[in-house]
Amino acid sequence: MAWLFRTGLAAALMVAAVPAFAHHGWGGQEEAVTTLNGTVVQGVSLAGPHATMKIKVGADVWDLTLAPPARTERAGLKEGLIPVGATVTVRGNRNLDHAKHEMKTIYIKQGATEYHVYPDRE
Amino acid sequence: MSSSLAHFFAWLEHSPLGVFVRSLGVWSYGVINLVHILGIILLFGSILILDLRLLGAWRQVPLAVLSRPTTTMAQIGFVLAVSSGIPMLSVKTTDYIGNPFLLIKFPAIALALLNVWLVHRSTAWRAHRTRDLLPTENRRLARGAALSLAFWLTAITAGRMIGYW
Repeated sequence: MAWLFRTGLAAALMVAAVPAFAHHGWGGQEEAVTTLNGTVVQGVSLAGPHATMKIKVGADVWDLTLAPPARTERAGLKEGLIPVGATVTVRGNRNLDHAKHEMKTIYIKQGATEYHVYPDRE
Repeated sequence: MSSSLAHFFAWLEHSPLGVFVRSLGVWSYGVINLVHILGIILLFGSILILDLRLLGAWRQVPLAVLSRPTTTMAQIGFVLAVSSGIPMLSVKTTDYIGNPFLLIKFPAIALALLNVWLVHRSTAWRAHRTRDLLPTENRRLARGAALSLAFWLTAITAGRMIGYW
Protein backbone atom coordinates (compact mmCIF):
# COMPACT_ATOMS: atom_id res chain seq x y z
CA MET A 1 0.00 0.00 0.00
CA ALA A 2 2.93 2.34 0.53
CA TRP A 3 3.29 2.81 -3.23
CA LEU A 4 -0.30 4.00 -3.37
CA PHE A 5 0.26 6.67 -0.73
CA ARG A 6 3.46 7.84 -2.40
CA THR A 7 1.74 8.00 -5.79
CA GLY A 8 -1.25 9.79 -4.31
CA LEU A 9 0.93 12.30 -2.52
CA ALA A 10 2.91 13.00 -5.69
CA ALA A 11 -0.32 13.49 -7.66
CA ALA A 12 -1.73 15.84 -4.99
CA LEU A 13 1.44 17.96 -5.04
CA MET A 14 1.32 18.17 -8.84
CA VAL A 15 -2.29 19.36 -8.75
CA ALA A 16 -1.46 21.92 -6.04
CA ALA A 17 1.37 23.24 -8.19
CA VAL A 18 -0.92 24.11 -11.13
CA PRO A 19 -0.68 27.89 -11.45
CA ALA A 20 -3.65 30.13 -10.80
CA PHE A 21 -5.76 30.75 -13.89
CA ALA A 22 -7.66 33.81 -14.98
CA HIS A 23 -11.37 33.16 -14.63
CA HIS A 24 -12.40 33.46 -11.00
CA GLY A 25 -9.35 35.53 -10.15
CA TRP A 26 -8.14 38.73 -11.73
CA GLY A 27 -4.93 37.27 -13.15
CA GLY A 28 -6.05 37.75 -16.75
CA GLN A 29 -6.88 41.43 -16.24
CA GLU A 30 -4.82 44.60 -16.40
CA GLU A 31 -3.64 46.21 -13.16
CA ALA A 32 -4.72 49.62 -14.41
CA VAL A 33 -8.31 50.75 -13.99
CA THR A 34 -10.10 51.69 -17.21
CA THR A 35 -13.10 54.01 -17.37
CA LEU A 36 -15.68 53.53 -20.12
CA ASN A 37 -18.69 55.62 -21.11
CA GLY A 38 -21.25 53.73 -23.13
CA THR A 39 -24.84 52.74 -23.68
CA VAL A 40 -26.36 49.55 -22.33
CA VAL A 41 -27.12 46.98 -25.04
CA GLN A 42 -27.88 44.11 -22.65
CA GLY A 43 -28.95 44.78 -19.09
CA VAL A 44 -27.64 43.12 -15.94
CA SER A 45 -28.05 39.34 -15.89
CA LEU A 46 -27.76 37.66 -12.49
CA ALA A 47 -27.63 34.16 -13.97
CA GLY A 48 -24.53 32.00 -14.21
CA PRO A 49 -21.28 31.90 -12.24
CA HIS A 50 -21.07 35.69 -12.28
CA ALA A 51 -23.36 38.52 -13.31
CA THR A 52 -22.86 40.14 -16.72
CA MET A 53 -23.99 43.04 -18.87
CA LYS A 54 -23.03 44.45 -22.26
CA ILE A 55 -22.42 48.08 -23.21
CA LYS A 56 -21.57 49.74 -26.49
CA VAL A 57 -18.62 52.13 -26.52
CA GLY A 58 -18.11 53.73 -29.92
CA ALA A 59 -18.35 50.85 -32.36
CA ASP A 60 -17.37 48.15 -29.83
CA VAL A 61 -19.63 46.04 -27.64
CA TRP A 62 -17.99 45.35 -24.28
CA ASP A 63 -18.68 42.31 -22.13
CA LEU A 64 -18.81 43.50 -18.54
CA THR A 65 -18.12 40.77 -16.00
CA LEU A 66 -19.58 41.62 -12.62
CA ALA A 67 -19.31 39.86 -9.25
CA PRO A 68 -21.04 36.54 -8.49
CA PRO A 69 -24.83 37.03 -8.70
CA ALA A 70 -25.51 37.30 -4.96
CA ARG A 71 -22.74 39.87 -4.41
CA THR A 72 -23.82 41.89 -7.45
CA GLU A 73 -27.35 41.98 -6.06
CA ARG A 74 -26.07 43.08 -2.64
CA ALA A 75 -24.33 45.97 -4.42
CA GLY A 76 -27.84 47.06 -5.45
CA LEU A 77 -27.59 45.93 -9.07
CA LYS A 78 -30.79 44.04 -9.69
CA GLU A 79 -31.92 42.82 -13.10
CA GLY A 80 -33.92 45.43 -15.02
CA LEU A 81 -32.79 48.43 -12.93
CA ILE A 82 -30.58 49.85 -15.67
CA PRO A 83 -32.59 49.84 -18.89
CA VAL A 84 -31.23 49.01 -22.33
CA GLY A 85 -30.17 52.28 -24.00
CA ALA A 86 -29.20 53.97 -20.72
CA THR A 87 -25.91 55.85 -20.61
CA VAL A 88 -23.51 54.49 -18.01
CA THR A 89 -20.00 55.09 -16.75
CA VAL A 90 -18.14 51.98 -15.68
CA ARG A 91 -14.73 51.40 -14.15
CA GLY A 92 -12.85 48.14 -14.02
CA ASN A 93 -9.86 46.10 -15.12
CA ARG A 94 -9.91 45.21 -18.79
CA ASN A 95 -8.72 41.92 -20.22
CA LEU A 96 -4.96 41.74 -20.79
CA ASP A 97 -5.85 40.67 -24.34
CA HIS A 98 -6.96 43.95 -25.88
CA ALA A 99 -8.53 42.09 -28.80
CA LYS A 100 -11.22 41.10 -26.28
CA HIS A 101 -13.49 43.89 -25.19
CA GLU A 102 -14.01 42.38 -21.77
CA MET A 103 -13.73 44.04 -18.38
CA LYS A 104 -14.11 42.91 -14.79
CA THR A 105 -16.25 45.66 -13.44
CA ILE A 106 -15.64 47.42 -10.12
CA TYR A 107 -18.07 50.32 -10.32
CA ILE A 108 -21.06 51.42 -12.42
CA LYS A 109 -22.74 54.81 -12.45
CA GLN A 110 -26.04 55.57 -14.15
CA GLY A 111 -27.24 59.14 -13.79
CA ALA A 112 -26.77 59.97 -10.10
CA THR A 113 -26.91 56.32 -8.98
CA GLU A 114 -23.66 54.58 -8.15
CA TYR A 115 -23.16 50.84 -7.76
CA HIS A 116 -20.04 49.72 -5.93
CA VAL A 117 -19.56 46.10 -7.00
CA TYR A 118 -16.03 45.77 -5.60
CA PRO A 119 -15.58 48.74 -3.20
CA ASP A 120 -12.26 47.34 -1.97
CA ARG A 121 -10.82 47.62 -5.51
CA GLU A 122 -11.78 51.24 -6.12
CA MET B 1 -16.17 25.06 -33.62
CA SER B 2 -18.66 23.95 -36.24
CA SER B 3 -21.65 26.15 -36.86
CA SER B 4 -24.11 23.32 -36.21
CA LEU B 5 -22.75 23.07 -32.67
CA ALA B 6 -23.07 26.85 -32.33
CA HIS B 7 -26.69 26.55 -33.48
CA PHE B 8 -27.33 23.82 -30.95
CA PHE B 9 -25.81 26.01 -28.20
CA ALA B 10 -28.01 28.95 -29.17
CA TRP B 11 -31.02 26.63 -29.15
CA LEU B 12 -30.15 25.28 -25.68
CA GLU B 13 -29.65 28.77 -24.25
CA HIS B 14 -33.04 29.92 -25.55
CA SER B 15 -34.81 26.68 -24.65
CA PRO B 16 -37.45 26.62 -21.88
CA LEU B 17 -34.82 24.94 -19.66
CA GLY B 18 -32.40 27.86 -20.07
CA VAL B 19 -35.15 30.42 -19.43
CA PHE B 20 -36.26 28.47 -16.35
CA VAL B 21 -32.77 28.07 -14.83
CA ARG B 22 -32.00 31.77 -15.37
CA SER B 23 -35.18 32.66 -13.47
CA LEU B 24 -34.28 30.70 -10.33
CA GLY B 25 -32.46 33.46 -8.44
CA VAL B 26 -28.96 34.46 -7.48
CA TRP B 27 -28.01 31.28 -5.60
CA SER B 28 -29.28 28.84 -8.22
CA TYR B 29 -26.07 28.50 -10.24
CA GLY B 30 -24.06 27.83 -7.09
CA VAL B 31 -26.52 25.17 -5.91
CA ILE B 32 -26.65 23.44 -9.33
CA ASN B 33 -22.85 23.59 -9.44
CA LEU B 34 -22.80 21.94 -5.99
CA VAL B 35 -24.96 19.07 -7.26
CA HIS B 36 -22.59 18.71 -10.22
CA ILE B 37 -19.59 18.47 -7.88
CA LEU B 38 -21.35 15.96 -5.60
CA GLY B 39 -22.17 13.88 -8.69
CA ILE B 40 -18.54 13.93 -9.82
CA ILE B 41 -17.36 13.01 -6.30
CA LEU B 42 -19.68 9.97 -6.26
CA LEU B 43 -18.81 9.01 -9.83
CA PHE B 44 -15.05 9.37 -9.67
CA GLY B 45 -14.62 8.29 -6.05
CA SER B 46 -16.40 5.01 -6.74
CA ILE B 47 -14.64 4.48 -10.06
CA LEU B 48 -11.23 5.17 -8.50
CA ILE B 49 -11.70 2.47 -5.86
CA LEU B 50 -12.95 -0.10 -8.38
CA ASP B 51 -10.28 0.71 -10.97
CA LEU B 52 -7.43 0.58 -8.44
CA ARG B 53 -8.72 -2.82 -7.28
CA LEU B 54 -8.78 -4.00 -10.91
CA LEU B 55 -5.22 -2.69 -11.29
CA GLY B 56 -4.03 -4.75 -8.34
CA ALA B 57 -4.61 -2.78 -5.14
CA TRP B 58 -6.40 -4.40 -2.15
CA ARG B 59 -6.25 -7.92 -3.56
CA GLN B 60 -7.50 -9.28 -0.22
CA VAL B 61 -10.90 -7.63 -0.94
CA PRO B 62 -12.89 -9.88 -3.29
CA LEU B 63 -13.72 -8.09 -6.55
CA ALA B 64 -17.26 -9.48 -6.43
CA VAL B 65 -17.78 -7.71 -3.06
CA LEU B 66 -16.45 -4.37 -4.31
CA SER B 67 -17.95 -4.24 -7.80
CA ARG B 68 -21.62 -3.82 -6.97
CA PRO B 69 -21.53 -0.87 -4.53
CA THR B 70 -18.94 0.99 -6.59
CA THR B 71 -20.82 0.61 -9.90
CA THR B 72 -24.14 1.56 -8.27
CA MET B 73 -22.67 4.69 -6.66
CA ALA B 74 -20.92 5.61 -9.91
CA GLN B 75 -24.22 5.33 -11.79
CA ILE B 76 -25.96 7.58 -9.25
CA GLY B 77 -23.07 10.05 -9.52
CA PHE B 78 -23.26 10.05 -13.31
CA VAL B 79 -27.01 10.76 -13.27
CA LEU B 80 -26.48 13.63 -10.80
CA ALA B 81 -23.64 15.07 -12.91
CA VAL B 82 -25.65 14.94 -16.16
CA SER B 83 -28.87 16.24 -14.63
CA SER B 84 -27.03 19.26 -13.16
CA GLY B 85 -24.59 19.70 -16.04
CA ILE B 86 -27.21 20.29 -18.73
CA PRO B 87 -28.97 23.06 -16.72
CA MET B 88 -25.58 24.69 -16.00
CA LEU B 89 -24.73 24.62 -19.69
CA SER B 90 -28.15 26.05 -20.60
CA VAL B 91 -27.65 29.25 -18.53
CA LYS B 92 -25.25 30.95 -20.96
CA THR B 93 -24.51 28.27 -23.52
CA THR B 94 -23.31 30.66 -26.23
CA ASP B 95 -20.48 31.78 -23.88
CA TYR B 96 -18.93 28.36 -24.50
CA ILE B 97 -18.76 28.64 -28.29
CA GLY B 98 -15.07 28.35 -29.14
CA ASN B 99 -14.13 26.87 -25.78
CA PRO B 100 -11.69 24.03 -26.63
CA PHE B 101 -12.07 22.26 -23.28
CA LEU B 102 -15.67 21.39 -24.12
CA LEU B 103 -14.38 19.62 -27.22
CA ILE B 104 -12.07 17.55 -25.02
CA LYS B 105 -14.56 16.89 -22.21
CA PHE B 106 -17.50 15.46 -24.13
CA PRO B 107 -15.52 13.11 -26.40
CA ALA B 108 -13.65 11.91 -23.28
CA ILE B 109 -17.00 11.13 -21.60
CA ALA B 110 -18.14 9.31 -24.75
CA LEU B 111 -14.95 7.22 -24.74
CA ALA B 112 -15.34 6.53 -21.00
CA LEU B 113 -18.91 5.30 -21.54
CA LEU B 114 -17.83 3.19 -24.52
CA ASN B 115 -15.16 1.64 -22.28
CA VAL B 116 -17.77 0.91 -19.57
CA TRP B 117 -19.93 -0.81 -22.16
CA LEU B 118 -17.02 -2.89 -23.50
CA VAL B 119 -15.87 -3.92 -20.00
CA HIS B 120 -19.36 -4.88 -18.89
CA ARG B 121 -19.93 -7.10 -21.94
CA SER B 122 -16.55 -8.84 -21.53
CA THR B 123 -16.41 -12.48 -20.42
CA ALA B 124 -14.20 -11.48 -17.49
CA TRP B 125 -16.70 -8.98 -16.06
CA ARG B 126 -19.63 -11.34 -16.57
CA ALA B 127 -17.79 -14.14 -14.76
CA HIS B 128 -16.27 -12.20 -11.85
CA ARG B 129 -19.21 -12.69 -9.50
CA THR B 130 -19.43 -16.44 -10.02
CA ARG B 131 -15.84 -17.72 -10.20
CA ASP B 132 -12.15 -16.83 -9.85
CA LEU B 133 -10.82 -15.10 -12.95
CA LEU B 134 -8.03 -16.37 -15.17
CA PRO B 135 -4.86 -14.26 -15.41
CA THR B 136 -5.83 -13.18 -18.96
CA GLU B 137 -9.25 -12.09 -17.67
CA ASN B 138 -7.66 -10.09 -14.85
CA ARG B 139 -5.43 -8.40 -17.41
CA ARG B 140 -8.48 -7.59 -19.57
CA LEU B 141 -10.17 -5.87 -16.62
CA ALA B 142 -6.93 -4.09 -15.64
CA ARG B 143 -6.66 -2.63 -19.16
CA GLY B 144 -10.27 -1.46 -18.91
CA ALA B 145 -9.53 0.11 -15.51
CA ALA B 146 -6.49 1.99 -16.85
CA LEU B 147 -8.51 3.34 -19.79
CA SER B 148 -11.34 4.23 -17.42
CA LEU B 149 -9.05 6.33 -15.19
CA ALA B 150 -7.48 8.02 -18.21
CA PHE B 151 -10.84 8.93 -19.83
CA TRP B 152 -12.59 10.09 -16.64
CA LEU B 153 -9.59 12.12 -15.45
CA THR B 154 -9.39 13.75 -18.87
CA ALA B 155 -13.12 14.57 -18.76
CA ILE B 156 -12.90 16.01 -15.23
CA THR B 157 -9.76 18.02 -15.97
CA ALA B 158 -11.17 19.46 -19.20
CA GLY B 159 -14.48 20.14 -17.42
CA ARG B 160 -12.77 22.09 -14.66
CA MET B 161 -10.78 24.11 -17.20
CA ILE B 162 -13.90 25.19 -19.16
CA GLY B 163 -14.43 28.06 -16.73
CA TYR B 164 -10.83 29.21 -17.00
CA TRP B 165 -10.73 29.62 -20.79
